[in-house]
Amino acid sequence: MSFEDDDFVEDDEMNMIDEDEAASDSEAESLSDSDEEITEKLAEPTKTAVYNRDGLLDKLQDISWPEDIDWTHKLTVEIEQGQQAAVDVNDDLAREMAFYTQALVGTRQAFEKLQEMGLPFLRPGDYYAEMVKSDTHMEKVKSKLLYEKRQMEEAEERRKARDNKKMAKEVQSQKMKERAKQKKDEIESVKKWRKQRQQSGFSEKGAGELDLEFGNGKSFQRGGGGGKKRPGVSPGDRSGGKGKTASRMNNKKREFRDSKFGHGGRKGLSKQNTAETTNDFKGGFRGGKAGGNKRQKR
Amino acid sequence: MGKKRKHSETEQAAPLKKDDSAPERPKRTLLGWKEKAQDAEEPKPAAPEFRNKEKVLVTCSRRISFRYRHLMLNIVSLLPHCKKDSKVEAKSSKGATLNELVELKGSSSCLFFECRKHKDLYLWMVKSPSGPSVKFLVNAVHTMEELKLTGNHLKGSRPLLTFSSNFDKDVHWKLLKEMLTQVFGIPKEHRKSKPYHDHVFAFSIVDDHIWFRNYQISVPHNEAEKVARGGLDKMTLVEVGPRFCLNPIKIFGGSFGGPTLYENPFYVSPNQIRALEKRNKAGKFAKKIKAKTRKKMHELSNPLEPDEFADMWKDDE
Repeated sequence: MSFEDDDFVEDDEMNMIDEDEAASDSEAESLSDSDEEITEKLAEPTKTAVYNRDGLLDKLQDISWPEDIDWTHKLTVEIEQGQQAAVDVNDDLAREMAFYTQALVGTRQAFEKLQEMGLPFLRPGDYYAEMVKSDTHMEKVKSKLLYEKRQMEEAEERRKARDNKKMAKEVQSQKMKERAKQKKDEIESVKKWRKQRQQSGFSEKGAGELDLEFGNGKSFQRGGGGGKKRPGVSPGDRSGGKGKTASRMNNKKREFRDSKFGHGGRKGLSKQNTAETTNDFKGGFRGGKAGGNKRQKR
Repeated sequence: MGKKRKHSETEQAAPLKKDDSAPERPKRTLLGWKEKAQDAEEPKPAAPEFRNKEKVLVTCSRRISFRYRHLMLNIVSLLPHCKKDSKVEAKSSKGATLNELVELKGSSSCLFFECRKHKDLYLWMVKSPSGPSVKFLVNAVHTMEELKLTGNHLKGSRPLLTFSSNFDKDVHWKLLKEMLTQVFGIPKEHRKSKPYHDHVFAFSIVDDHIWFRNYQISVPHNEAEKVARGGLDKMTLVEVGPRFCLNPIKIFGGSFGGPTLYENPFYVSPNQIRALEKRNKAGKFAKKIKAKTRKKMHELSNPLEPDEFADMWKDDE
């Protein structure tokens, strides 16, 4: 019976709604409006929406718990929306931030209330009980997090290495340019000096002094001024230079072994004499020549 | 009653009593759960006598898809005062059968997950026996199994419920808030509940939808023992899940039916949305044909002038 009464009340309620929400378009238009936002919302509300406020209030009275019960039964906290009212639904980050702040503020308030009542709040460290996600699941979560972290770190490292390489390349090219320039300059200066001397007729005077900076006289050496200090290499020497003593020793050994075993090793005939070795008694290898009789396969 | 009671530090080891004739000691009794539902709805005489005897029945329809099934299982694990039941056939008049089922199990409310066309999930939240019922459309479902939701909490610990203030703006929101509190709030001395509060539910209304989030309250380890003022500042929330978004469709006066008390004016059913999309796509071909005929008409009505150079190369071969 009360429902019949409510039916009559409905029209008034609906009219109120219509005024409130200014629904004047037909439903076809409203459907076409929803083309843009083809998610779940009509642009204009339909006219036939039922809104039985009294009925709702009745039901609310029916089901709600008594007013004077302890807050600990309900554990509800209401959070003021405030400026959060303008949260855009489609902006995921802002929306989640809004939810997060709501929950955080709520927890703080609840915690204060609980503290007043002297009730335990958080789980102590030694309380072990069944959790809502299993341990294996948490392992998966952890491994995924670690994996992501590692990916990020690797990407960072790669980027840094790339940048460093670029930098190094730039620096190197700069240095090369500088050196070339210096060389050119010095050669130019020598030419100029020569010309000067020529012009002044090769006089023995001090006009022949080179006014230039030669450093310690090392700039004319090969390999830059005083860079490499390997002595005794003349320009025509093609021997490839001397190494240090130790590596020389190893080189000889290395060469001997290479000649014996490297690239498939030697063919037989290692125990047969050649012209040179016919007259060698008591073995041949005395640290002099490295396996000198047969150098077939190297 | 061989009951596995793990870690019942703060709960009595007393055997379960089926009736509530046992004298109550505040915060120390176990509750009986085999009682009839209507006790939950009578207003209790005085505050200390109030006992939350909420019991929720959770079921789903047949042919529910995996994601929604996992959501249902997540909710079952979140609410220790619920009872999961087997699937309900779709074609039977679900109002009557479900009502009977709820009565049979002696629950005071029900969460029924109905999956239609293997795509849309509708959630019925019903207070039994004569309570209001709400039908929601559920979207944006993320279950707890997603690896991005990294939090974890005690199974059965009572949550803190936070509601945004727009729940008080209108009557139907108030009703929904009350129903959510009763269904999602774990009764205080439920035998499967754990004593500490380490997670919080956040219900907010954005864009006329109710968004649900579940966060774990985490505090750095050394502070957990004594959460004083200092500890509060370092408190962070980690999301546990699940996540979903409810769009209220209708509120009925009875359980699973009854007179409609509220209808959401902005609701468009997903079927309508899909039909609309199809219609748009179907329109493309018709538009093309129309454009062709238009072009023909245009050409007929504006004939081109004869081209003087048209025959220029014809004689060249």
